[in-house]
Amino acid sequence: MSGDLQAVWLTALLAATTTLLLVPLASPLAWWLARSTSSSRSVIEAVVAMPLVLPPTVLGFYLLIMLNPESAVGSLWIELTGDSLTFSFSGLVIASIIYSLPFMVQPLQAGFRAVPESVLEAAATLGASPRDRWLNVVLPMAKRGYLTGCVLTFAHTVGEFGVVLMMGGNIPGETRVLSIAIYEHVETLNYDAAHLLALGLLGFSFLSLWLVYRFAGHRFEVVRG
Amino acid sequence: MSHRLVIKGCLRRARFTLDLDLDVDLTEPLGIMGATGAGKTTLLRVIAGLERDFSGLVQFCGEVWHDGDHSDRVPTHQRGLGVVFQDGRLLPGRTVESNLAFARQRARNMDAAVTYETLTEALDLNHLLTEPAEVLSGGERQRVALARALLARPRLLLLDEPFAANDAEHRQQLTAHLAEWLPAAGIPLVCVSHAAHELAQLTRQLIVLERGAVSAQGETHLLLAAQREAINNAAQAVTAVVMSTDSEHNTATLQLDQDAVGAVVSGKRVLLQPDPEDSGLGAALQPQPEENQH
Repeated sequence: MSGDLQAVWLTALLAATTTLLLVPLASPLAWWLARSTSSSRSVIEAVVAMPLVLPPTVLGFYLLIMLNPESAVGSLWIELTGDSLTFSFSGLVIASIIYSLPFMVQPLQAGFRAVPESVLEAAATLGASPRDRWLNVVLPMAKRGYLTGCVLTFAHTVGEFGVVLMMGGNIPGETRVLSIAIYEHVETLNYDAAHLLALGLLGFSFLSLWLVYRFAGHRFEVVRG
Repeated sequence: MSHRLVIKGCLRRARFTLDLDLDVDLTEPLGIMGATGAGKTTLLRVIAGLERDFSGLVQFCGEVWHDGDHSDRVPTHQRGLGVVFQDGRLLPGRTVESNLAFARQRARNMDAAVTYETLTEALDLNHLLTEPAEVLSGGERQRVALARALLARPRLLLLDEPFAANDAEHRQQLTAHLAEWLPAAGIPLVCVSHAAHELAQLTRQLIVLERGAVSAQGETHLLLAAQREAINNAAQAVTAVVMSTDSEHNTATLQLDQDAVGAVVSGKRVLLQPDPEDSGLGAALQPQPEENQH
């Protein structure tokens, strides 16, 4: 597999893994943020939203400090898996989860807020258990939030650069994702290759956002029967 | 079989404190009356287990549903209820049929009080089955909610102004249907309503709530009769302004701001007779004989 194809595959794998892991991780957090009246909610909301405003290099730098082999987390990870979290695909996944957290949490939070408490009460009076209410009332009503969250998280992870560079460097087949490959092509004045990848990312970004606006911006079909 | 409902305890709210010491046998259907904000809906919510802050005891058929002191409670979904909220509360994003199916799929394992076909026919829902819940009118939503509650095969039916958004014809039909179905199926009922005729038709016992506490309790027809009399008595005292007096004929002309059958002026009870030549605002005042005064 050529270097660029490998970068495309690695980027897709990183984005898919991050998205799949963020769905179960972000759901309870988003639910709590949507329903809680606790005074600590605004603090947690601010923490979750920080990757939106923080320079990726700052986030990458602190992740490097926290996850390097000398740190508690990094050394424990090496003990458990025999692998390092820095300059590895596993480390990139953890960094991506943190970096893309608001892109999953915020759409889910909005989706959950659209589920009125009164509807959940009605479902409970009809004999629906909490799990039943979650699966058959909340999820169908919040599916636009899930679609938006998944598309934005995937697209955002595909476009990662700063955090990846800080945490993963440029190891082909391990951490060399598309944005790093483009950077490398530009550095080596290989503009044709850079153009090809950049144009691909441009098209992908447009397609992702169009998907969000086209489908998540409209009502889904009602459940029949 | 006895359907004893015991509620003892209180719940603090911004406008009132619900303070209850109720022990009723729901073998006879129960009505709840009271002014807006008296705590009627809150009482139903306490029975349904939707008021977590309620401190006290809720017990039905000997089963402790809520015990504020020991936290020994049965959650709402295990109480076997059928609840019709004022606003219907249909599940959004679903059709009427899907809303009804939601209740049927979770119905208790017992004989149905009324069949699905009978319900949809009697509640005039057949033409609405494929409609999304969002497009229904308030009255239609309430009828779907009533069907849904009955399809859940409840062991206790709680109705909160269940027909308020329906037109007079539908209200009459719905009341008649419930008055027929519920006793036949032996489903205990607690019904909140402002409509005396609905309570008279559906319930046998009544409690009146006032600022969160029971101000009267008894048989429905007796309490409603007492309430009617109180309203009649209150209607006999109206405000009027004396426009002119005629000492020769011992009469006075009053300016009224509402229709009335009598007025008290200077401690005397009088009859008001509308002046045929007047626009309706004026009336001739005739003192009544002393024996009729009080």
